[in-house]
Amino acid sequence: MKIKNKLKIFLFMTLFAAAFSCDDYIDIEPEGELDAENFFRTPRDYDRALTGAYDLLQTSYLSIWIGEIASDNSRAGGESPSDTEGLHQIDAMSHGGINAELRNIFRWNYSGIARVNYIFENEDNLEFEGKDQIMAQAHFLRAYYYSELVKFFGDVPLIVDKRLGNDEVSSIQRTPASQVYAQIEADLLAAAEVLDWTNPVKGRITKGAALSLLGRVYLYQDKFDEAATVLQQVIDEGPYSLFPDVTTMWLLENEENQETVFDIEYVGVEGGSYGCFVCLEGFAAPGFHGIRQYSGPIYASGNSYNVPTADLYNSFDPADLRRDASVLDIVAFAEANPGVEYGTGDQHTGYFNNKYIKRQGETGAPDDDLTSPLNHRVIRYADVLLMAAEALNRKASPDDATAREYLNLVRDRADMPEITASGADLTNAIWQERRWEFAGEGLRFFDLVRTGQAANEIEGFVAGKHELFPIPQAEIDLAGAGWEQNSNY
Amino acid sequence: MKRTLLIQLLFMLLAVSSYAQQTVSGTVTDSDGFPIPGVNVLEKGTNNGTVTDIEGKYSLTVPSDAVLTYTYIGFNSQEVPVQSRSTIDITMMEDITALNEVVVVGYGTSTKKELTGAVASVKGESIEKLNVPRLENALQGQFAGVNITANSGSPGGGQNIRIRGFSTYLNNDPLIVVDGVIYDAQGLASINPSDIESIDVLKDATAGIYGVQAANGVIMITTKKGKKNQAAQVSFDGYYGVQETSNKIDVLNAREYAVLKNEMVVSNNGTPIFDNTNLGEGTDWQDEVFQTAPIQNYNLTVRGGTNKSSYSIGGSYFDQEGIVGGDKSSFTRYNGRVNFTTDLTDNLTFENVLLYANEYRKTLPENVIGSVLYNAINNSPIFEVYDENGDFTYADGITDIINPLAQIANTFNEARTNKLTGKLALNWEINENFSATGRFGYNWANVKSRNFNPLVYYGPQKAQNTADDADLNPKMTEIAPGVLIPQLNSVTQSEQKFIDYNLDAFINYEKTFNDVHTVKGTLGTSVFSQSSEGIFATGYDVPYNSWEFAYLSLIDEKNFLNTNDGYQTEARLLSYFIRGEYNYNNKYLFSAMLRRDGSSKFGANNRIGYFPTFSGAWVISDEDFFNSSFFDFLKLRASYGVSGNDKSLDNFTYRALLGGEGDYPFNNQLANGVAIGTAGNPDLKWEETSQFDVGLDFDLLKGALSFAVDYYIKTTKDLLFQPDVSALIGTYGAGSAPPFINAGTVRNDGLELSINYKKNISNNVNLSIAYNLTTVNNEVTAMPSGLDYLEGAPFSVGANYATRMEVGYPIGFFYGYKTDGVFQNQQEIDNSPTQLDASPGDLKYQDINGDGVIDFGGNSDKTIIGSAIPDVTMGFNLGVQAYGFDLSAFLFASIGNEIVRNYERQIPLANQLAYRIDRWTGEGSSNEPRVTTELNRNNVFSDYFVEDGSYLRLKNIQIGYTLPNRITDNTGFENVRFYVGANNLFTLTEYRGFDPDIGSFGPLGAGVDLGFYPQPRTYMFGVNLNF
Repeated sequence: MKIKNKLKIFLFMTLFAAAFSCDDYIDIEPEGELDAENFFRTPRDYDRALTGAYDLLQTSYLSIWIGEIASDNSRAGGESPSDTEGLHQIDAMSHGGINAELRNIFRWNYSGIARVNYIFENEDNLEFEGKDQIMAQAHFLRAYYYSELVKFFGDVPLIVDKRLGNDEVSSIQRTPASQVYAQIEADLLAAAEVLDWTNPVKGRITKGAALSLLGRVYLYQDKFDEAATVLQQVIDEGPYSLFPDVTTMWLLENEENQETVFDIEYVGVEGGSYGCFVCLEGFAAPGFHGIRQYSGPIYASGNSYNVPTADLYNSFDPADLRRDASVLDIVAFAEANPGVEYGTGDQHTGYFNNKYIKRQGETGAPDDDLTSPLNHRVIRYADVLLMAAEALNRKASPDDATAREYLNLVRDRADMPEITASGADLTNAIWQERRWEFAGEGLRFFDLVRTGQAANEIEGFVAGKHELFPIPQAEIDLAGAGWEQNSNY
Repeated sequence: MKRTLLIQLLFMLLAVSSYAQQTVSGTVTDSDGFPIPGVNVLEKGTNNGTVTDIEGKYSLTVPSDAVLTYTYIGFNSQEVPVQSRSTIDITMMEDITALNEVVVVGYGTSTKKELTGAVASVKGESIEKLNVPRLENALQGQFAGVNITANSGSPGGGQNIRIRGFSTYLNNDPLIVVDGVIYDAQGLASINPSDIESIDVLKDATAGIYGVQAANGVIMITTKKGKKNQAAQVSFDGYYGVQETSNKIDVLNAREYAVLKNEMVVSNNGTPIFDNTNLGEGTDWQDEVFQTAPIQNYNLTVRGGTNKSSYSIGGSYFDQEGIVGGDKSSFTRYNGRVNFTTDLTDNLTFENVLLYANEYRKTLPENVIGSVLYNAINNSPIFEVYDENGDFTYADGITDIINPLAQIANTFNEARTNKLTGKLALNWEINENFSATGRFGYNWANVKSRNFNPLVYYGPQKAQNTADDADLNPKMTEIAPGVLIPQLNSVTQSEQKFIDYNLDAFINYEKTFNDVHTVKGTLGTSVFSQSSEGIFATGYDVPYNSWEFAYLSLIDEKNFLNTNDGYQTEARLLSYFIRGEYNYNNKYLFSAMLRRDGSSKFGANNRIGYFPTFSGAWVISDEDFFNSSFFDFLKLRASYGVSGNDKSLDNFTYRALLGGEGDYPFNNQLANGVAIGTAGNPDLKWEETSQFDVGLDFDLLKGALSFAVDYYIKTTKDLLFQPDVSALIGTYGAGSAPPFINAGTVRNDGLELSINYKKNISNNVNLSIAYNLTTVNNEVTAMPSGLDYLEGAPFSVGANYATRMEVGYPIGFFYGYKTDGVFQNQQEIDNSPTQLDASPGDLKYQDINGDGVIDFGGNSDKTIIGSAIPDVTMGFNLGVQAYGFDLSAFLFASIGNEIVRNYERQIPLANQLAYRIDRWTGEGSSNEPRVTTELNRNNVFSDYFVEDGSYLRLKNIQIGYTLPNRITDNTGFENVRFYVGANNLFTLTEYRGFDPDIGSFGPLGAGVDLGFYPQPRTYMFGVNLNF
């Protein structure tokens, strides 16, 4: 072949090598990069993704605050009425669709759900021993996040088993609460089926946690028979008993005791920043509940948030060991401890949350307002007992005897006399007991709502409106799917 | 035929009878002194003529009173009377205004006459004359519509090229194509400005032949090539210069400092700091850090060609030291270039371009809070440079400020770059209508850097300290609970590699039917890959705390603090393009093109983009009805098209990364979990620009005076943002972030004018004047829902922002309070809107929202107080050549831009600028705020800190002399020229800072001055030799 022709063929080849290359050329994967699309290759990947899904539990402090502040138990407090303004609005029952704290609740739980769904999206990538344990915990976590959402907002979009793209949101509608509950129940049953009553690793979800949360979810739906069944199973089969001393129970050193059913774990070294309260990981409640400008023994200075009302304090029998364990009377304390100094913040009541409070020797780093080593005790055995008592008392064929037995177990620990009532009186006694036993733990508002007492007990509460919190207006707008706001907002 | 011969014969007879015949010989050279072969030399009015040979020589027998005409394509013709001379050497000037001048457009060429788009061009010699360290320096003010701002005046410092405004808050870099090879805009320092043959800037939608890379405009750079049939020509160019700072900031001397600081504390009932304020001048820290520094550049080029090949081979050396820090802030560059073209067969040409660069750069902290100049401005004049022991003094009591000379002495770094850019191309003239081109272009760069962080102690409580005390004991650091180890000195070394290649293949077609219908077509495809990788490592415990031993090979390998890191990434682009052009008799011209780009950067749902462009032109002056003796040429142009910008988008941004925070404690130990960080977006795509342009080109005075006027509207949509998204996507956990989406729109419009005048006043006197003017109106017209504004550059120390991007305002406008002078008395305060902490002598802010209260907590009283975008920029070039002397001058002006004075450290003991002497001292004394340590709000960001940044600068002036041929002929040189010149000789401005020509790394940081490293004033002497 002549050199001329060889060259021309070479030229043709360069020309058309490019011309015939097709779009495969641009379909390249990132090299040396772990990203969301190529993860889940080893069992460890599943475990790490699960840890990431657990991680968002640590934003739960907001649930405590709102559950208390919205109720008759406490006031928003803080430095001034504009300090975390959303809490003040909730306190005054003047909250509407624009409320940063409610939006944080919405964002926090959906972020947790997305992390769980990411695992489910990749559930079938790999089979390995122990995968059922991982998936069971994932089921629990999703149920927990949805249980928070449905408790606050009622009907919420139900997204399962996949992440959502930005372009998909506008076609997502709010799912009726009953369907959300059905998903929660299914998830919890799936978790309970696989998990053991105990896990050697502190902080891992157990069967007891799953069944107890299921019991709580049944109770919130007035499904008393189902609630009684699962809660009794926990009582009968579970390894739990009451911690004997309520006066020292809330100290860091007595964390993780025989009463612990479900704790959200904190170690006091992970914090966050004031710029992003929704990404806090350090349990802000104790620091923010702390006594303002405090100097003196035992406690450390904090931000006087979520301050208990006199109504709560005075509702206790003075002999009730839980009164001072739950509510700190700062005036009395200062009298008893000369040299104590403290400031007064907004809505100063003279009382502080004594369960979750910043104490010396129990602070976190680097910022001990944002970070605390205390756990958030989400479900205690006492709650299992009182929920079981209520379910047994309110179910179609009540078992008041067992209900009383459970109730009196809790009362006995607090040095309170036995209750002998039955029927509606027993119901009321159980409800009363819940306020005392769980004061400061974020359950009160939701208990009042589900038992229909809210309008009577909470000033400014409008029946038919305040049972649910409004969907954040910004979320309605961002979704662009035409969601209707909750009634009367 | 017979008659012509007869007439000729008659003329010849006449000539013979009237005048004696003689022989004239000589050499024809170009303006650089290179011989031009192939020039037609003709006795005027006859057929008697010849052509110059390979050495540009000719010889012709003519009557002694004949007139000779010299003509050559691309050069101005000349007529020279013989006047009985036997030797006539001619220098021919290139015809810059020629309508048939070749203009490089994408995948082909055009001529000025045929162009339908807005293209600005400049020739290499205009660039060379400016003697600039970086190519971009030479482009400033040369083109209407192209704005160049400096990121820094330091040696090797970067420049921003902005074509027609800011179209995004992210990457506004134009596409740069060097001889068909795609080149990184930030890497232009590697190019030797002397290697440039021409630069063509595609400003309007006709750049769209480059599709998704074209939205910020395209700069086509052509390097110097040889010419066929030309004997080897060697040229040497060199200059040596001395640089000094072009400006110093007027700050307080020691006495003034003491007076003001005493007043400051006394006004707050404190005890005076200085018992005796008579401290004289004190230390002028700027004098201490600024120095004169050398700059030098030498080029050697050989070019020539045979009848089949041409070549151009060059090498150069450039070295610049800094006016701050000298050798510690320096840039050295070696360049090599081999351009070679050969005809493999009659119709097949092979071209090889090879550009090599080796760069070496050292830098000091610059243009940041804490830079050397920032410290020099803010350090107190009462401190000496050295204490009695000869150690550097501590800037005691001035938070964050350290002795700038100690800082220079303790800064150690170097970066070495090796870069190869090249092209292998085959061009096949298939027949007279078709040609095909296949080419492979590549860029390979290797960047190695080394950074030494010694143990150093700048004084008590200085955040910059790496040692615990003056004895250089190390600080301790906790690596595990309760485990403390010393944090020793460290060295960081890195190596990065950048490899790009592009493979282009295209066919060009051109045919004229019936003499009037010309059809042109281009069809092609291109693949482009850009990849990079790097490794980084930091090691501790460098022996002897010394730069000399700061290598990873010498560190303590077992130190627990040692770290390493790495990355690798690639982006690929696959493109097809087609262009059709039609013109009727060169009078009506139409062009349409379409490019299809697919990129690995885009999400799965938007991987492919289509970019159409239409353009047309009407040469009115060719119309029969048009017979104006005023216009020599008149053309109306218009274009519209859509193009994209893929540079704002990082590789694989469309994918979700696992960058979230997912740690949770089990058994009281944090377990390392994984979570999605920034969410993915499969719809993610390019920023898209649609641009309309209408232009008018016209020539007057026989082409000596030419005008180009353009008006454009450029709208860029689908900008990249991370606005709030629905919570359902789940991006609000720790470490997570919403996905990037395409939203938001920016509009630019503007007017561009360029005027060129060129006149050969006589054979010995040439004059050229060029003027251009650019206006840009920039406005953000849409932001994504959920994001009202984006904040940009911080003001002072803390979380205040000076700039914003917001609908209805120019991108990066300055956002703050407006002032109304200072409160002169308490009554004025009482009668004004409530202003917290106000006392007489404090700045008085305007109540913008009219609610009677100045809102310091929120934004309700803040408003637009300036913008870094100038209203008008202008360039003015003057060239005069007369009797061997030449003078060139280049002026640049920027008018209507503002600058934020952000280099003052607002703390009590920092030094202050001299304007503070005019402080308020009592009612009616001044509108300059008082000095006090009392609580006040004078340091919030307001128009008090915004200054007019307009300036006029003589960027370059040069006076040269070329030795006459009668001298050089005996030396063996073709051409010898000496010159003296100066860059940045003077600047007229009201701006108080170092340098009003201040750029930034992004549109949102533009015009915020942190003590800008000024561009030096340079005096130089140079020589150009051709032999």
